Amino acid sequence: MAAPRLRMAAGRCFYQVFRLSRSAGGAAAGRTGIRRFSGAAAQHAAGPWRLLGAACVQRLAVISEEQRPMEARFSELMHQMELERSLMSDHELRLLDDKKKLKRRQAVDYDSEEEEDEDRDQDIILTQDLEDAWEQRRKLFHTQPRVQGDVDVRVERSDRWLTEPLVLLTQQEVGADRLWLLPQTPWEAGETLKTTAQRALSSTPGLEMQTVFLGSAPCGLYKYRLPRAVRGSEGVTGVKVFFFKAVLRGALPPPGPSSIWARKSELKDYLKPSYLDKIRPFLLDL
Amino acid sequence: MVSSRRRTSTTVRCIAPADSRRWKYRVWDNFVLHGVAPTNERQYRSMPTHGIGRWKYLLPKEAPRKKRDRLQMKQIRAATDTEYGSLSVKVSGYDMTVVEHYSQYIHNLCNRLRIRVAESYALPTKTTAVMLMQEQGTKMYVDALLKTHERIVQISSMNATLCPTCMDVVLQNQPEGVELTVKEHAERDFLERFKARPQLEGLMAQVNQRD
Repeated sequence: MAAPRLRMAAGRCFYQVFRLSRSAGGAAAGRTGIRRFSGAAAQHAAGPWRLLGAACVQRLAVISEEQRPMEARFSELMHQMELERSLMSDHELRLLDDKKKLKRRQAVDYDSEEEEDEDRDQDIILTQDLEDAWEQRRKLFHTQPRVQGDVDVRVERSDRWLTEPLVLLTQQEVGADRLWLLPQTPWEAGETLKTTAQRALSSTPGLEMQTVFLGSAPCGLYKYRLPRAVRGSEGVTGVKVFFFKAVLRGALPPPGPSSIWARKSELKDYLKPSYLDKIRPFLLDL
Repeated sequence: MVSSRRRTSTTVRCIAPADSRRWKYRVWDNFVLHGVAPTNERQYRSMPTHGIGRWKYLLPKEAPRKKRDRLQMKQIRAATDTEYGSLSVKVSGYDMTVVEHYSQYIHNLCNRLRIRVAESYALPTKTTAVMLMQEQGTKMYVDALLKTHERIVQISSMNATLCPTCMDVVLQNQPEGVELTVKEHAERDFLERFKARPQLEGLMAQVNQRD
């Protein structure tokens, strides 16, 4: 299938045109060329943007939330109503029949020759015995607890907070400092940004996990300009990060180095405010 | 002259109800249903204005409705640069009410997001018999019958920019015990809906053999 590809033009020419048109617009707005620094105009026109692809990996909720008291009462009421209105199943009818036959046999005037003629082909196993056997098997089955407080506290575990969706964050070096952010990697010429995002996961040790990317189009963009000192030295005006949504598939991965699974409410403790503002719109909280 | 004319049946004899608005609706219904003037003013056949309100004879004649046609396959759209082609979203599970409600939810969500839904249908239920070996002996007996219900929502085209958001919403609302599969729709998926006809296939094989 020809997947829709995000055709990125060769970075330089598109963004150069963009810069030029902006500066031309500024001149037309009425500012005279004399007052503007020629150096600033040249910088506006010259710098390309560095492109990065980032993957927003979500571990979706594994179990449904607990019912609130009103919901619990209502569902119990509906269940009772349905039970009272329903017809008996074959198993339940057989159960009643067996009970009646047993009572009849224990009656005083029971004539075994007369009455047993009809049910010669009775089953050896009574329905009540079947029920007892099932009950025994049910007792051997143990369910996992829904909420495990000690696991929820550990941020690096992917099986915390099973009722809520979690987002993967890693600690990466950006410029001089190590920051918490969504896994990202620089874009290389010749590949699509979605491939870049996939590479961001597979190339980093500890982040290899089975994921499904939900689409070929990015869901968000974060861009920032580099400080002037750095801009001149590297020849890059700023950085643009394109986010792609992915969903965890298969078994939950073990905890990796410098990676955490955070709920949406916990993101503000790890991410910078400007970064979080751009991410929050596409993280659905349903 | 009007004053000397006898009262004919064309005059209004019915008495309007106390709520005059009700009267207007009844009269309008009759007009729409029969394509004639309101029956409270009956035009006698000899009157020159007889049949004055008729309009149904002006409409083009419709062909009589045939009995139900064979199910035709809707055109499968190919994928373009900005849109996915025909997709089929398959929802399957053991609990029929949950499966049906989820497929209805997906259909309504697509309607709300203006994604065109081509068809929404059910595949035949598959029954799985769970056989257990008896504790004393080698005979297997049927422990349980599990019925797998499948519902398919066929989407004709989905915009590539909308896809991640839509899929995220659908996945976040996926209930427990329900499996979701999204794949491209092909002709063999359409043919899967029909029952196999062994006799016809045998005859066709015979015909082909002779040739």
